[in-house]
Amino acid sequence: MALSEAHAGRSYPPTPVYEITAAKISEFANALGDDNPAYRTEDPLAPPTLVAMVAFAAWDQMFADRELELELRRVIHADQRFSYVRPLRAGDRVTATLTIEKVRARGTTEIVSCSIEVHDQGGDVTCTAASTLVHSREAA
Amino acid sequence: MNVSPLDSSPIEVGSELPPLTVRLTRASLVRYAGASGDFNPIHYSDHFAAKVGLPGVVAHGMLTMGTALRVVTDWVGDPAKVTSFFVRFTNPVVVPDDEDGAEVSFTARVIAVESNHVSIAIEASSGGQKALGAARAEVDLG
Repeated sequence: MALSEAHAGRSYPPTPVYEITAAKISEFANALGDDNPAYRTEDPLAPPTLVAMVAFAAWDQMFADRELELELRRVIHADQRFSYVRPLRAGDRVTATLTIEKVRARGTTEIVSCSIEVHDQGGDVTCTAASTLVHSREAA
Repeated sequence: MNVSPLDSSPIEVGSELPPLTVRLTRASLVRYAGASGDFNPIHYSDHFAAKVGLPGVVAHGMLTMGTALRVVTDWVGDPAKVTSFFVRFTNPVVVPDDEDGAEVSFTARVIAVESNHVSIAIEASSGGQKALGAARAEVDLG
């Protein structure tokens, strides 16, 4: 059965632990052309949108869920929200847990709202990443 | 009264943040792909982009989003003050394979102030089109 409204509430196991490093923070800040000194101290903060990198692994779990019959190349990322409890910093060991919050099906299009909680090494939520993805199926 | 973190002007509804214009080239996209781990070929392959009906290779939405937030973090100084950030991806930024790439311009203004909490609306445009819609960042200056 393909993705349907019945999949609301489905969640996936936490992604493998990802350790944020100073080198990754610097690489990511450079890719954004961002010279903020906070990303280049002895104990650097991560740019707020580096969370997306952690979220990718959780999105991949959903795309790999064969029951949903999602095809990545037919997905459009419609919107994105990040809500921060605290910034990530070098040394944090984080996991991401995705939950499908809502599915709206309209003909050959499905609109999926999903939410990813990013937990730190202490089990506390550091950030929530909420996305709306639009998936178009090939007409039968 | 709140005062802008990096200068002494008061923060009030309508205050404009310093704008930002960046040039994204194919090299920018390759760099972001490597840094973020997002290797979707629509961000580097003309062949693949055409196959899925795009007008050309497009920038990662998350690259546009992350760059948009620089307007806010450049202004506030400390990125830890950002408490939330939302964008709608309206039009992808098409990045041609030449020296010029694509220019993306960002502007931002304060739309609400409540004690230490400041809401900022961000506009992003490239090639005369809006790249982001309804972009909002919230910062806590406390």
